[in-house]
Amino acid sequence: MSERDAPGGDNLDMFRDREAPAPRVWTVTQVNRAVRLLLEQTLPQLWMTGEVANFSRHRSGHCYFTLKDSAAQLRCVMFRRDARALPTDPEEGMTLRVFGGLTLYEARGGYQFVVRRLEAEQAEGMWKLAFDRLRRKLDAEGLTDPARKRPLPEFPRTVGVVTSLGSAALRDIIAVTARRAPWLRMLVRGTAVQGRGSGEEIAAAIATVARRGVDLVIVARGGGSIEDLWGFNEEAVARAVAECAVPVVSGVGHETDVTICDLVADLRAATPSAAAEAAAPDRKALVRRLEGLGLRLGRTLAGQARARRWRLDAGASRLSEAVRRRVRREAGRLAAAAAAMEALSPLSTLARGYAVPLDGEGRLLRTTEDFALARRFRLRVVDGSVPCNVAGEPVQQPGTAQIGR
Amino acid sequence: MDAESKGEPGLDALILRIEEIVRRLDSDSLGLDEALALFEEGVGHLARAREILDRTELRIEELIGPEGEAVEELRPPGAADRGDGEDA
Repeated sequence: MSERDAPGGDNLDMFRDREAPAPRVWTVTQVNRAVRLLLEQTLPQLWMTGEVANFSRHRSGHCYFTLKDSAAQLRCVMFRRDARALPTDPEEGMTLRVFGGLTLYEARGGYQFVVRRLEAEQAEGMWKLAFDRLRRKLDAEGLTDPARKRPLPEFPRTVGVVTSLGSAALRDIIAVTARRAPWLRMLVRGTAVQGRGSGEEIAAAIATVARRGVDLVIVARGGGSIEDLWGFNEEAVARAVAECAVPVVSGVGHETDVTICDLVADLRAATPSAAAEAAAPDRKALVRRLEGLGLRLGRTLAGQARARRWRLDAGASRLSEAVRRRVRREAGRLAAAAAAMEALSPLSTLARGYAVPLDGEGRLLRTTEDFALARRFRLRVVDGSVPCNVAGEPVQQPGTAQIGR
Repeated sequence: MDAESKGEPGLDALILRIEEIVRRLDSDSLGLDEALALFEEGVGHLARAREILDRTELRIEELIGPEGEAVEELRPPGAADRGDGEDA
């Protein structure tokens, strides 16, 4: 562009008015504006590396610092909208990589680098720094102390789940729970699990399900980069987990990902599926336990019968023959019933027709003498009782076969 | 546990009671009526516990609304019913 052809913009007047007796005088504002435009329009946005010094975060949210190397230094600013994405503030002396452009702060005449992105030299460095800082803080408060961890309820009825609706994590949790403990009730609170603000949302969701009277809470998310999982590393989540009135199982990411949420939770599961396994009792184990209890129940009753019979036999010689017959009958009846119970699962026995005759006051009717003609009584069966009355004279029979010895 | 007071006893209450009954029947100092009544009660609890274990439909509900104040049935795709056929 030749001097003569230059357009009449203010900035270029000095070149055109060469012949004028007095040079044009610029104001400071004009100079600074010209230099600012020169800087902003000439140099492209670029990456720059250096050591950070004097990092400060202003109340406004803007961050100011100096970046330097052995020979030079440069003032940097990171405005709030970009600084919000920083997981934490860098440490003094850290080597940073920043991306942005140069400008001039006209009010002071100083030039500075406007940082749009800031990274630590090592990959994930800033995230790791933020993680370590929060972890140290929570450690100091005792929130990650193993002694603080609560056992999970052995028999939960309602399980709260905090995760993203429609996620693979939720599908896995449902599939595992449906297989292990289909009698449970599951209360799901959907939440964002990624992106800015997800930490606050996850924390609120934990508080929401906890208020609904669940017995424990599963907090879950599938795998992702440290940036993806960041919500689970935020202090709000740590606080919500620590304050949760019921135990929290954390199943975030894959086996190798450890989050702050994992550290504060009462139990850390490697994956969402593993979290559901830990939370839901195992149906097969419970069925075995019930079967064992059924057998023990039958055996103890048989034991009662044996003990009773032994005592009765011992004393029987002192009793009259008639009385002896009665107690034999009674003991025999009990032993037979108990042995039958022991031999079979009590449940199937009940289903097969185990029944107990009771009088109006709920007393057991045991012998033929209790069944006077036309007497009313109830037969207690598996699912209720049946009103009965004695239709004919009871017939006495000799002692029942003895099975239990 | 909230639901305990409102509804049926849970698995935990049933199993604890059965275990207590077994202990008492083991203690050998019971009358006939008492032993039979306890036994009968235990068998009833066993049946009820088994009923709970035999439920196949997992109830899934979503908490909706800003404070999670409402509840809505959630039927996510792929939540197949997987009975294990334990009854054999």
